[in-house]
Amino acid sequence: MKRWFVRLILAAMLIIPVHAFAGVPLDTVKTNVNGVLDVLRDPKLKGETGKKVKEQRIEAAADKLFDYVELSKRTLGLNWNKFTQEQRKEFVGLFKNILKDAYVDKITAYTNEQVNFTKEAPLSETTVEVQSVIISKGGETPIYYRVMKKGSDWRVYDVVIEGVSLISNYRTQFREILGNNPPKTLLETLRKKAGKK
Amino acid sequence: MRRQNMTLFWKMIEFLRPMATTVFLFLLFSGYPLLHAASDSPDAHIDSNEENSAAVKYVEKTMSTPAAFEKKSSDEYGDVTEKDDRSVPVATAEKSSDEYGNVTEAEAGSTHAASEKKSSDEYGDVTEKDAGGSEELHIADPVEPWNRAMYHVNDKLYFWIFKPAAKGYKYVVPEDVRGLLSSFYENLKAPIRIVNNLLQGKPKYAAIELAKFFINSTVGVGGLRNCAKECFGINGRYADFGQTLGKYGVGFGFYVVWPFLGPSSPRDTVGWMGDWLLRPQSYVSSEWISPESVGLYAHEKINDTSFHLGEYEMLKDAAIDPYVAMRDIYIQYRTKLIER
Repeated sequence: MKRWFVRLILAAMLIIPVHAFAGVPLDTVKTNVNGVLDVLRDPKLKGETGKKVKEQRIEAAADKLFDYVELSKRTLGLNWNKFTQEQRKEFVGLFKNILKDAYVDKITAYTNEQVNFTKEAPLSETTVEVQSVIISKGGETPIYYRVMKKGSDWRVYDVVIEGVSLISNYRTQFREILGNNPPKTLLETLRKKAGKK
Repeated sequence: MRRQNMTLFWKMIEFLRPMATTVFLFLLFSGYPLLHAASDSPDAHIDSNEENSAAVKYVEKTMSTPAAFEKKSSDEYGDVTEKDDRSVPVATAEKSSDEYGNVTEAEAGSTHAASEKKSSDEYGDVTEKDAGGSEELHIADPVEPWNRAMYHVNDKLYFWIFKPAAKGYKYVVPEDVRGLLSSFYENLKAPIRIVNNLLQGKPKYAAIELAKFFINSTVGVGGLRNCAKECFGINGRYADFGQTLGKYGVGFGFYVVWPFLGPSSPRDTVGWMGDWLLRPQSYVSSEWISPESVGLYAHEKINDTSFHLGEYEMLKDAAIDPYVAMRDIYIQYRTKLIER
């Protein structure tokens, strides 16, 4: 039994070249995040129209960076299977809108922070954690992007801020709702929330 | 029972004070040579991170083979229903392997995604580590009505008092000065980090924190600048008493929200009291809770808040149920701190 395990591990280690992709995930996240920072700091984009342009560009960068379907699957976990095809599509759209409303809107106010990308740590054969830290005068905030290989791209499926995973946080909330309610109720709640903005 | 614990606690404090003094002096003289070697070594949590990911990889490896196996042999949703009776498989023609297909279906699609997806679905141990999430992190919430009420009290306190105060403060005090003050308060809390690093069996970090304290208090002009880091590149290690208790195996107990102080648990409340005793600011007057010490605490909080305006709003806006979201943030954050 023990030998079987050892062999299995050895085989696994040989098969999967963990460091084959070293550097690529970090660069992908870095390029997109820096792109967003450049937009945020662009002195030409001022006032209301500037803010609109900023938001559009950030959204475009976010679309390239985040894998919303993966995000949705992971937040729902097994509950995903309770949703019909249409409900799944609607959920992904609504979840995306809620994240955008909550974050894109707000980060347009950030300009002074410095972001350093420190390292990448493999989590599994297809997932990597890209670690970054935001440095401001009030202190440092570690932000880790968990990325997954999708085709030829690396896409973010979770963001961990100071040890708090965004996906787990939503999962807890969704599970509480889906514990006693059908998917329809959750979608209703999300629709209301997304519609508010 | 509780009272007994408290006297025990006080006795421990009485005992620790002279002990701590001796150890400080000892470390002051013996700790310096260690400094260089220690600051070269990577941060403790990075180590554990790597261990963790290695463990994950191991678990996944061991899990993925049988998983992929089952997948191939069983029909599209049989597997999930077995493990989870709550899941109601959707019996549509899900043969298509598009993104919106059943998750189980998508798994069968590619071998790599298989192990990955598998783990995120089966909400077992692998998922937890895999998604990095603390999916299985649960905390008892027996006093939820109180907690929810206190959550609303704190929410109002923030919007009606702390936020306007911090905004006004931010307007009046330049960012650089606020930065200096924030370093100053951080430096004053060195005793908490030194003692707790020691209690957690990390004397090396205790020594580093002690050295940091001396450097910042002298070259850093009373802690106004974190010179240890800026001039010498010395990184300390955060530690608090609640974390120490957690490392000793004390659980959260249950979730409790205090007015003003926010999310906590019986363990972290004791921890907070322990930390309060180790803060030099607490000794500005002869009484434990005096206008001076509370005033200092309030200033520290407002100074800190001035750097984080908008963050709570963002969290709240992003949440579907802000109370549950905050509770989860609290458990995730504290658990991570203890694990590392």
